[in-house]
Amino acid sequence: MSTGTQDTSLFAADSDVGQLPPRQVAVIDIGTSAIRLAIGEIRNDGSVRTLDALTQPVALGNDTFTTGRLSRATIENAVRVLRSYREVLDSYGIDDQDIRCIATSSVREAQNRLAFRDRIYIATGFQVEPLDRAEVSRVTFLGVQPTLQADPELDLARAVVVEVGGGSTEVLVVENGQVAFSHTYNLGSLRLRQTLESLRTPLHKEREIMLAQIDRFLDPALQHIDTGDSVAVKLIALGADFRFVARQLAEELEDDGGESLVGVPLERFRVFTEEVLTLSTDELVQRFRISYPDAETLGAALLTMLRFADRLGVTRIRVSPVNLRDGLMQEMASQGVWSDNFRQQVMNSAIELSRKYGCDEDHAKHVARLSGLLFEALQSQHRLDARHRTTLELASLLHEAGLFVGISSYHKHSQYLILNSELFGLSRHELTLVALVARYHRRASPKPTHSLFSSLDREERVIVSKLASILRVAIALDRSYSQRIREFTCSIEKGRLIVEIPGVEDLSLEQIMLRQTGQMFEETFGMSVLLRRSRL
Amino acid sequence: MAEQEPRFFNRELSWLEFNQRVLEEARNPDIPILERIRFLAITASNLDEFFMVRVGGLQTIVGSHSQKLDPAGMTPAEQLQAIRERTQQLTRDQYACYVEELEPRFPTAGLQRLRPTELDAAQSQVMQQVFQDEIVSLLAPLAVPTPRDFPLLINRTLSMCARLERPAEDDPDEIETRYAIIPFGRVPLRFVTLPSEGAYTFVLLEEVVQHFAGYFFPEETVCECVTFRITRNADMAIREDLASDLLSEMEDLLVARRESDCVRLELADDASDELTGFLQECLEISSDEVYRVPGPLDLTPFFQLADAGSGEENRYESWPPKPSPLVDPQESLFDTIARQDVLLYHPYESFDPVVRFVNEAADDPDVLAIKQTLYRTSRNSPIVAALARAAEKGKHVTAIVELKARFDEERNIEWARALEHAGVQVFYGIKGLKTHAKICIVIRREPQGIQRYVHFGTGNYNDATARIYSDASLLTCDEQLGADAVSFFNSVTGFSLPQPLARIAPAPLTLRETIEEMIEAEIEFTRQKQAGEITAKVNSLVCPRMIELLYRASQAGVKVRLNIRGICCLRPGVKGLSENIEVISVVDRFLEHARVMHFRHGGDDRVLISSADWMPRNLDRRVELLVPVDDAASKKKLITTLESYFRDTIKGRRLQPDGRYVKFDLGPRAKAISSQQWLYDQTCQAVEQADRSRQTTLEAIRAPGSE
Repeated sequence: MSTGTQDTSLFAADSDVGQLPPRQVAVIDIGTSAIRLAIGEIRNDGSVRTLDALTQPVALGNDTFTTGRLSRATIENAVRVLRSYREVLDSYGIDDQDIRCIATSSVREAQNRLAFRDRIYIATGFQVEPLDRAEVSRVTFLGVQPTLQADPELDLARAVVVEVGGGSTEVLVVENGQVAFSHTYNLGSLRLRQTLESLRTPLHKEREIMLAQIDRFLDPALQHIDTGDSVAVKLIALGADFRFVARQLAEELEDDGGESLVGVPLERFRVFTEEVLTLSTDELVQRFRISYPDAETLGAALLTMLRFADRLGVTRIRVSPVNLRDGLMQEMASQGVWSDNFRQQVMNSAIELSRKYGCDEDHAKHVARLSGLLFEALQSQHRLDARHRTTLELASLLHEAGLFVGISSYHKHSQYLILNSELFGLSRHELTLVALVARYHRRASPKPTHSLFSSLDREERVIVSKLASILRVAIALDRSYSQRIREFTCSIEKGRLIVEIPGVEDLSLEQIMLRQTGQMFEETFGMSVLLRRSRL
Repeated sequence: MAEQEPRFFNRELSWLEFNQRVLEEARNPDIPILERIRFLAITASNLDEFFMVRVGGLQTIVGSHSQKLDPAGMTPAEQLQAIRERTQQLTRDQYACYVEELEPRFPTAGLQRLRPTELDAAQSQVMQQVFQDEIVSLLAPLAVPTPRDFPLLINRTLSMCARLERPAEDDPDEIETRYAIIPFGRVPLRFVTLPSEGAYTFVLLEEVVQHFAGYFFPEETVCECVTFRITRNADMAIREDLASDLLSEMEDLLVARRESDCVRLELADDASDELTGFLQECLEISSDEVYRVPGPLDLTPFFQLADAGSGEENRYESWPPKPSPLVDPQESLFDTIARQDVLLYHPYESFDPVVRFVNEAADDPDVLAIKQTLYRTSRNSPIVAALARAAEKGKHVTAIVELKARFDEERNIEWARALEHAGVQVFYGIKGLKTHAKICIVIRREPQGIQRYVHFGTGNYNDATARIYSDASLLTCDEQLGADAVSFFNSVTGFSLPQPLARIAPAPLTLRETIEEMIEAEIEFTRQKQAGEITAKVNSLVCPRMIELLYRASQAGVKVRLNIRGICCLRPGVKGLSENIEVISVVDRFLEHARVMHFRHGGDDRVLISSADWMPRNLDRRVELLVPVDDAASKKKLITTLESYFRDTIKGRRLQPDGRYVKFDLGPRAKAISSQQWLYDQTCQAVEQADRSRQTTLEAIRAPGSE
């Protein structure tokens, strides 16, 4: 795909065809204590150049984490900020299609998030998209990946990427360039502050209580990180608070704070954290010229990171210059097309999950492979894109997860197990599609009475039906659970799909299976499936 | 005894020394007569502002009985006393200059001032006619039976006070005395032009009125009729946070300013003690505040005479601004800037490229947005017109308009409204901080992406003053400077919290620290046995913290050379304190206004331009910018320019440890050099050289349409 923009005609005179002008995109990030706007330019090689970065404080998290709702005044404050951002966007001539407006935990968890989104849409035209936890992971990974790859030392190590936000903490373990583990915890610097306030913690107890809170989340996370082997662990800190620390210490670190990671010795970080914890919010604002919202949560964020570092036993904290907006921008640069590497990460995460539920791994992987081949062969019939292929393959890997619960109606167990799991990089919505495809791998075809299915719009219902139909054929092809059918060719003859399979004597097992479950394929694609031994 | 000497000069007295230097130009026989008249008018106008703002402010402080010492160790009352003495002397010098040196030379410059009694018949008739037709209807004499009835007079306008006598009604032997005031208000003329052959002949308005004073008081005897003028305190503390609408508050302030206290009464020196006492009583001022002058009051309008006079030899030789050799008028300025940074040093080099920059941006279809600060600008400014045109063409235009540029407010409000009308987004600055930074950003969509072009300046976007102020302009499309500029602008318009910037340093955030770090670095280089050198040019140096740091640099052995046109509170050349600091001041035909700094930085040569003077006000309470100049050619040009001032043996004056300014001691072999002359010659040479090299490259003229 080319990175085309609307005004290609303007540059049509340029002799160099195919060298389209760079596209300007924008990301608005509605966070816990601020609304930020980043404007970037995507060059032809896919790299992103930041044009503008704006921040205005809006205390959304203060509302959500105390009352569970966003107050009228806060919503209007957000409207005011977003209106001013609209002006900046207009000055660059950036249209809605090139703007992503995302919100994190403070909006996602607000009871009146729908009212908030509607109000924003009416007042500013921005469509606020609450970002799921898993999406945050994906975006974080996309953002941090270039820095990891650039540093061979890190590329080989086990990199623990920790982003402490106002409302949540994101942990991502990357090993050999692959995501080994990812999770988002309800541990945030603003949440910590609010816990202290709601408990009316006396000052000398604050630190103790914060540490107890941090440890509650840290213990389970560490199980995934510290597997006891000898691989070197590197801690990479993400987030505005740590970028601030890096800037403060930049001079003594003799680092110009450029594009790459800034290594902060843990002891220096500890001294700085202790210093921050002794200062009041006012003193922090005075001393460091930071905003009030930032000053309020700085101590809690630093303490969280310090605790991570101590528990991991590292001696340096590497501060990454990237932020959530960088990741989103990278994603817009790729126009939503997942790289092979990234797709593999998602698949790894599904394989990890399938192991957890004791699936027959060989069978699962084989079905996934067959599904993929069928998907490719039937491209002209279903006309779906690569992202859907990933959905199909993920459903293939996980279709038997429900057996973990029980044999009867296990396809339904598969559905809810998938729905209630986290797959790296997948949004809630994408996860729903995976769960439904897995569910319809056997028994009843989708029906209007199936509530989850009917909650989808028509286009997506069709996608689920198409993918589930293909999955059924793939499952039938490995009915023997022996992975004996490894290749085939497809052709369409007289309204039938002919699957010709070489080197197999007897296909009766597969034929029987197909007769049981293949009805859905016929309903969906309007043709029956015929298995045939190919004559060599 | 040196220990007891204060470490700083008092800023008010230092400013008065500056005005004295300007006055010295007016008294300098080597300067053409009309230019000397101009310098004298400048000293008068300067002194007016000084009284309104500085004296007014001090008077308010004295009124609050504050005993707070200034860095020079003076109480407010002591300062006021010293100012009174100094300004009395300055005023005497002004009039000595006018009466003894300038007016007697009027005839040589085609000027003739006549007294009403000296006119011939034709001239008398004209004077009478002008009085009847144009003056009488504008004047309304007011009787002042008691001091409470004294009218409210407009600040800095002339009035006449008449002492009248008539026999009492009940007892004709008794003589009744009363006073009347004739305010001139805003009568638009000062010089009543008379017919004559050759010279521009005039009679002063106040003398015409005085001559016909009897006309207003037919029943009485006019014993005396004296011209006077009051100056009021303008230092109104405006509390922005109390008013929601800044604009309407400014309009209120303009009204309020007319009602504040009188800080000076100027009076013709032939006024009787009786009349003087009456005015003092009415205005509630002491005799210290009365300035009796032996010549015309209010010399500021004499500017007009400098224009009315004749004779080429009576004016400076014309130095038209030269077009910069870097700028090709045939080429789009954006292409020029894309190829190289363009550094301009005005007024030797023309300001036109800056105006063209905004004009081209307004008309260029690829320009998306223009963002600009406007502090003081000229009437009918072409830049303001271009911004309005750009907005009308649908471009995104943002202007930060500073309303508090002391006395220009009325004009500001007017054009700010006009801009809003055209669709420009107008911001009225940050609460509590004046926006003094000079920056214009053009955002342009180009085939290879968004490109940002920036103009950074040390002077205002005012094409009129750009012809007489020395200022630096940097036009660049450097990626980091562009990103910083946009980010800076976002914070000033309140679109974003201030973000860390890579290269430029804004006040009140990091500008001061950046300069301090650079000075510290020079101290460190000296410690490491490398030469530490600081050369800086600013208009004023007041900030005690900065001065102390410079003292420290001097003590560490850093060679510090400062070119400070106006106030300098630093005492240079004091042993053990500042012997390595040299301060010079250049007052010449162009007003020295650029702020340029050069730090040797171990041979790395850091050169910066800035909008900020080194005063606490600019460093801590204004929005200002400090911008690095990286381009080698631009750096070299600025360094050469800076150096030239320190060689000036004609207009350069060196500040002495005792606060006096003394001209350079011309050694027997030294060649007399004027820095402004030298800079202009250099500029002309550069242009000629560029022209010559252009002529040697032949360019074929293509038929129209062929490509």
